[in-house]
Amino acid sequence: MSWESIIPNVLAGDSQSLAGTAPVAAMDNEQFAAFYARSARSLWAYLARVSRDPGLADDLTQEAYVRFLCAAHPQDGEVAARRYLFKIATNLLRDHWRRPQSSSIDDVPEHTFAAASGETHSDSVAILGPAMAQMRPRDRQLLWLAYAEGYSHHEIAQITGLASASIRLLLFRARRKMARLLRSGGEA
Amino acid sequence: MSPFTCAREREVSDLLHNGHWPQACPADLRDHVASCRSCSDLVLVTGSFQVSRRLTAELPRLEPAGAIWWRAQLRRRNAAIEKVSRPIIGAQIFALAMTLIVIAAIAVWQFGNWSAWFADFPGTLHLGALIPPSFSENGFLWIIMPAIATIALLSGIVAYLASEKQ
Repeated sequence: MSWESIIPNVLAGDSQSLAGTAPVAAMDNEQFAAFYARSARSLWAYLARVSRDPGLADDLTQEAYVRFLCAAHPQDGEVAARRYLFKIATNLLRDHWRRPQSSSIDDVPEHTFAAASGETHSDSVAILGPAMAQMRPRDRQLLWLAYAEGYSHHEIAQITGLASASIRLLLFRARRKMARLLRSGGEA
Repeated sequence: MSPFTCAREREVSDLLHNGHWPQACPADLRDHVASCRSCSDLVLVTGSFQVSRRLTAELPRLEPAGAIWWRAQLRRRNAAIEKVSRPIIGAQIFALAMTLIVIAAIAVWQFGNWSAWFADFPGTLHLGALIPPSFSENGFLWIIMPAIATIALLSGIVAYLASEKQ
């Protein structure tokens, strides 16, 4: 007896026949491919810049999309879907940091990432790497979401799980510190 | 006005995110940014992050969308199968546990009858008539002989199965 005979289409991945087992996917293959093409690079940039580890960003980007497809993601448009994707990625990053590691994420030398990125195009961007290295991971997350992705405080609260009221203060402090680091050439 | 922000920060932020800074910025706002620490921080940080985002987003060699789609399908199928399997395994464990309990209960209940029946078993089959008198005098042989017979039988079966495999 096979699973196919017990549950029709289970091996065909038909989520419609598995109500309550797997969430209904709103996207078909082509829709997902288009969404992936529009969002994957910015998600990778977020993960790479916040974690300062391009290899980890590769892994977490893939995992975030797989979880996104397996979960019951928001049906109200691409903006909400994108925000949900960033939330998954943020949780994956947090889980990664919580796991015991042989070396801290903050021990990863910034030049590894800078060398890979070839960021010599702009002075401020060249300085951004060392400056980011001196920020706490949470501050890096907040700064990237606010100033690279342009999310509002409310959206950042949804993505990070922090209280909306505290985002303003945390972001203000992080921005002030980052500006000071950028003006001083990335040195503390 | 929030103690952490300037009243004109929203205007500056909109210009930055719409890509209108600094070309489309009014002169008075530009003068304000030059003199306001909060707004100048905003301009500096947002500019750096936006350029960094653009450059960083060019770097990754992304896995094809089809591969990720396929992996998600596989994970959903495995999750579905696991979910269906869980109650079946539970039912099997329950059935096994119930069978063992029933067997144990019957064994305890019928222990007296069975022990008497086993004690009478040689007499019931008149096995004493088949055994030479010298054997019946030595009770130890009652154990040795069936054991040797069993070993011989099993050895034959094992030898047969081994030759069958070859």
